[in-house]
Amino acid sequence: MNTSSITALPDIELKSPGAGLITLDPVRTALLRGLDDLLTGLAAQLSAPEVVGPPLLSVDGLARLDFFRNFPHLGVSAGRFGPDVLDGLASGGSPQDLPLQPTGHVLPSATCYGLLLSLEGADVGEDGLRLSAAGRCFRNETHYDGLRRLWGFHMREVLYLGTKDGATEHQARGGEFVQQVAGRLGLTLTRAAADDPFYDNGGSRARLMALDPVKYEYSAPDGTAIASVNRHRNFFGERLSIRAGSHGPAYSSCVAFGVERWVHAMILAHGTAEQALERLRAAVAGS
Amino acid sequence: MDQVSAWLHEKNPGLDGPIGVDEDLIEARLIDSMDFLEFIDLLEEISGTSIDLQEVTIDDFRTLARVQERFLDPAGHAEVPAGHAEVPAG
Repeated sequence: MNTSSITALPDIELKSPGAGLITLDPVRTALLRGLDDLLTGLAAQLSAPEVVGPPLLSVDGLARLDFFRNFPHLGVSAGRFGPDVLDGLASGGSPQDLPLQPTGHVLPSATCYGLLLSLEGADVGEDGLRLSAAGRCFRNETHYDGLRRLWGFHMREVLYLGTKDGATEHQARGGEFVQQVAGRLGLTLTRAAADDPFYDNGGSRARLMALDPVKYEYSAPDGTAIASVNRHRNFFGERLSIRAGSHGPAYSSCVAFGVERWVHAMILAHGTAEQALERLRAAVAGS
Repeated sequence: MDQVSAWLHEKNPGLDGPIGVDEDLIEARLIDSMDFLEFIDLLEEISGTSIDLQEVTIDDFRTLARVQERFLDPAGHAEVPAGHAEVPAG
């Protein structure tokens, strides 16, 4: 993605529209775009074609992936005003307290869901399939915190579907890439087993994950997780009837980057957004 | 072991035929993560012994052969003290 090299802004403040919502200034925007370009290098290394996922996901599809069982709190709904309130709104009435009608869709909370749902019934073959995509993702949180925890953020993912061994290898190569890019950018990251904020925390899934981690996070020195590698065993393959040729239900894994969090980690490591951008440009020029 | 096989078939109605003793129950999700604690309960019920999750590894649950050896074989119990899951039993 080409980015304007002009990062100076007249003496104008870009106000935040609310908690968890930020308008990125030109320097942070240049960081976001430049970092996403760099992180897309994983897709190039792994020959993963770039696609654009859907902007909304069907609740029926997500329900089949246990999304609401696992994350009932996260989903940001796409509602719409019903016909009975349109006249009132059009004549200047306040939308604030009006009920919304469900559309059967929510905004994505992770980039890979839309890709996985698009592959329902597919056979990815013996060699498997990789896809790369970035999208804006949305999560209801109990609190928001600058670029560390936003209501909506960009998530870059490289997804693999194929064999069990292929999924493990994808996870391993993703982890190596994260550390390699971090090194080029002057970031020190800590790798640790992690679990998603499953609703059954302490329950069955959490116990199994403690014994057999399926997710590793890479965190900046202040504890902000900026990347993760995840494997799903054959869960999505089974639920969505995605096959890997004669291997049966596809195994899958993905590498995910929270791009605004990379911006945060760069500023944390290099002092200011301007210095972080200089470091990013030097890293890109030196590659 | 029949009870364990019956439980696995009940949870996986699409399964055809017997489950191989070396089949990976965890990776193939024959034991789904949502049912993992129920599986532990089943093993405790059959063996009459409680299982401390601090003292086991995932490999103890990975195959029917290992489950038999680690939790259901009385000789295995005698020779594999808790906390030494990697020591082969029997």
